[in-house]
Amino acid sequence: MSDKEELDLHKNAKDLINQISIVVRTAQIHDANNVAISSAISKLVSMLNMLLDKEGLICLELRGELFYINEYRIRYSLEYLLNFDFLVREFKKRETGSVIFKHQLKMDDIKTFTKAFISSPFSDEPFNSFQEKMSGVQSIEIGRLKKVVENEDAHDVRKMIKKTYFNAVSYTKGIMNKMKNGEKVNIKKAKRVMESMVDHILEEEQLLLGMTAIKDYDEYTYHHSVNVSILSIALGQRLGLSRKMLTELGMVALFHDTGKTEVPSEVLNKPTNFTDDEWKIIKKHPMWGVRAILKLKKLDELTMKSAIVSFEHHMNVDHSGYPKIRQLKELDLFSRIVSLADQYDAMTSSRVYSRTPMAPDKALSIMMDRAGTQLDPLLFKFFINMVGVYPIGTLVILDSKELGLVTESNQIFPTRPRVLLIIDSQGKRIEGHTVDLAEKDDQDRYLRSIKKTMDPNKYQINLAEYLL
Amino acid sequence: MEINEENRAAKEVIQAILKSKKILRMYPENNPVYVKTLEDAYNKFKEFFYYNEELQLKIKQNEIYCGAEQVYSSSEKDDNLALFFFKDGLREITFKKGLTSEEMEAFLTVITLDFDTEVIDDDIVTLFWEKDFQNIQYVVDDAVLADEDDYNSAVVEEIKEESNSPDHLMKAYEDAFSESDKLKEASIIPLSDKDLQALLKEFEKDSQERLGKLVNILFEMMYLAETRQEFEDISLFLMNYVDYGVLQGDINIVTDILSRLKTLLENKNISADIKKYIEKILLFAGSEAVINHIGELLDSGQDIDEKAFDDFVRFLDKNAIAPFIKILGELKNIHPRKIVINALTYLGPKDIILLSSGLNDTRWYVVRNIIHILRKIADKRAVDFLLKTVKHGDNRVKIEVIRALGELGGAGVIIALREALDDPEVQVRIAAMKALGNIRSEAAKRIILDKIKDKNFKDKEFDEKKDYFETISKWKDEEIFDFLVSTLKKKTFFGSAKNDENRACAAYSLGLLGNKAALNILAKCRNESSKLIKEFSFAAIRKLEHE
Repeated sequence: MSDKEELDLHKNAKDLINQISIVVRTAQIHDANNVAISSAISKLVSMLNMLLDKEGLICLELRGELFYINEYRIRYSLEYLLNFDFLVREFKKRETGSVIFKHQLKMDDIKTFTKAFISSPFSDEPFNSFQEKMSGVQSIEIGRLKKVVENEDAHDVRKMIKKTYFNAVSYTKGIMNKMKNGEKVNIKKAKRVMESMVDHILEEEQLLLGMTAIKDYDEYTYHHSVNVSILSIALGQRLGLSRKMLTELGMVALFHDTGKTEVPSEVLNKPTNFTDDEWKIIKKHPMWGVRAILKLKKLDELTMKSAIVSFEHHMNVDHSGYPKIRQLKELDLFSRIVSLADQYDAMTSSRVYSRTPMAPDKALSIMMDRAGTQLDPLLFKFFINMVGVYPIGTLVILDSKELGLVTESNQIFPTRPRVLLIIDSQGKRIEGHTVDLAEKDDQDRYLRSIKKTMDPNKYQINLAEYLL
Repeated sequence: MEINEENRAAKEVIQAILKSKKILRMYPENNPVYVKTLEDAYNKFKEFFYYNEELQLKIKQNEIYCGAEQVYSSSEKDDNLALFFFKDGLREITFKKGLTSEEMEAFLTVITLDFDTEVIDDDIVTLFWEKDFQNIQYVVDDAVLADEDDYNSAVVEEIKEESNSPDHLMKAYEDAFSESDKLKEASIIPLSDKDLQALLKEFEKDSQERLGKLVNILFEMMYLAETRQEFEDISLFLMNYVDYGVLQGDINIVTDILSRLKTLLENKNISADIKKYIEKILLFAGSEAVINHIGELLDSGQDIDEKAFDDFVRFLDKNAIAPFIKILGELKNIHPRKIVINALTYLGPKDIILLSSGLNDTRWYVVRNIIHILRKIADKRAVDFLLKTVKHGDNRVKIEVIRALGELGGAGVIIALREALDDPEVQVRIAAMKALGNIRSEAAKRIILDKIKDKNFKDKEFDEKKDYFETISKWKDEEIFDFLVSTLKKKTFFGSAKNDENRACAAYSLGLLGNKAALNILAKCRNESSKLIKEFSFAAIRKLEHE
């Protein structure tokens, strides 16, 4: 297949998912005989038949949060975001993992499919109900959503992500030290680190985000830079940035605090409040960062972006931060992204001058107050949707009287994350296993729900023991 | 497919890759050899995929394996395919059966790059990653990225060591039931179409030119800078971006930088120390390095905003003169040369001596261009330098300098022009004659008259004679009128044909002089037997009667 054909196919695949979403949305509002639904179905039928002509068979599959068509992962752009997210949610509600279109389709096939799809979530066993209603349609086959299980592969993925994360920290430590000593820094390596991060964010966002919840006090600066990169890339992905742009975003985020290498360590590591003079020094790090970055390599798009973000990441959207400038200009998009990630990670980390970090949900609530003034309100919306109501690392008590840690958020049902149990309902400490709060019993009732959140730092709970 | 057969096919793929790596570098994409090499390589892949679903190559430092079989080996340090992949961390490359010729070409194009000599910011893994291949997969050892060996396990152990105390956990558990905190309401904010529209607008805004933003930041930093080092760094960056802007063809940004610097320079609140840095940047804009890049830009065929370029030149100082003269000789196209000539015409008055040094250039066309610029500037200080060029070996230069001298005038000029009237080349003589006509002084008149009165004058070609008489007509005085009338009347027995030429020219000149008192004599001459005299007299009468 030529690149052109492949591009066309990918575009058709995106359009197809979008059109299915439109059909389902329309069918939720209108009766099956309504003209709006008929024309949406007619369009879908012709799209499907055209693709069937080329491909022979079309298998639409939901894996995790992503759709695949005939084994190709379908990356979607911003214009499709809402419809894609909607369809993911609807598939999950029906426990449906795949739909295979096998032969040329007629309007009636899709009408039956639509009716069956719309009515099935109201059943106790949505998938079985859906499957039963589709039994008469020979050209369409549906498959059950595969449960995500912690198997050997998942374990390997975790190991790989852990390796990627710590490689990044080690690399960051290396470059920061080199910059401090005026040595040459290898930017090619930074790109490689970021590409690896971007790949993991695209495939296993939650696992990599989970790594950011582990805070290493001794190596704060390096972990912080890497965490800000991860959070920024993850947010960038939500915004629909391309892989290349995500890599750039990750790079600029990694270098955002470069200027701190010039802050004297006695100031940077001071355990008590800063004096006015010390604050003056701290407030210079964005400018020192610009100088360090511009000295690092020849001028290109990436260097410019890095320098701009370094200068602007503490300025705040309303220019209430620092440095204070004479000609007020709107902050760069990357600066606004990094600034969100920076604030969130800084607040939820223990630092020299603030040994007790904030609980993630508390940090989010403070950030919510700042949205619109210091922080970009639109980007914050995306950010909070990304980290979830219960971000990874949140300590939760369940209605089952079990105590656990959020290890993975649920993008479709935000109040139902995956939780690693630490203490059982009898009050005994246990070697935790992970439970999915979206799981239901036979009566369609949730097995467990969050009763309240607690601050893990208040009880000096080392998240690393559970998350690593 | 038998194992041996498979290995043979794999080895042939490797050989095809090696061959392509050499050949693709040497030929342009449309060259038949390039095309054929790709076709051959793709055929080797197809042969392998005829029996196999994928070709998995394991990369060792000096060997490549397909399964257990070694399909490539080299102990060379350079030109070693295994090492070439291995050093960037590649440990396995798998080509899938669906491999398209486009993908294969993209793969080969990447490995063909000369990573040792070309300025490439990416390594091979990054370039593969950017291609986002569907049918080429690779495994990379990212350990090469970590700065410390086995950092991962060491740190993980260390972090985990701070194990959780059971007491703390139990306390948390107890508090969970005693504390009265209510569950925080879910705060997910649904995204709307309006949000997405707003985001798209953000992306559009974000594509704005970044160098401009960075320049703004550097100026802000200049205001905030406190130490000498800071000023030094910022001025160095600004210098780099002046050059970068030129290289990118973004003259507007360069002009913006220079204009802001000029404004700062005029600001009384800026210290003399800082002004020194600013002056340094302004001088840099006219340095040889920057002007050379200007030359490259002008000759690149890229569209140049000439208004912006003129503005840029306005900010330059005299140090830009010599580099501009240098590129004037190097530019390949006429239009860019005109742009540089305009620049030098603006800059030249800042240092006429420096500009005049261009007259010593070994390339005749540079000298001629400089003379042209000096003519346009019309500064009499240039005369001394121009006079030295009158005896230039190239006639085109001589003609240009004579024209310039004619326009500038001056004492030494007359002598030089008089000498030029005896030049062996007629065009030079004519230029000198016209230059003297331009000067229109008594001395100049005398020189022309003397030349016409000279006994050898009659032997000149008719056209040259005519030019002399045309020149002399610029002095519209009695002496010239009388001289022309007497020349027209003068008849000789010997050499009458040559004399008739002189008379015809005198008639022509009387027409140009515009004195109607000449009509009588011209009318008489109209009836003469010489066709030449008749014709020129008639033309002169018509001119006098109608103008």
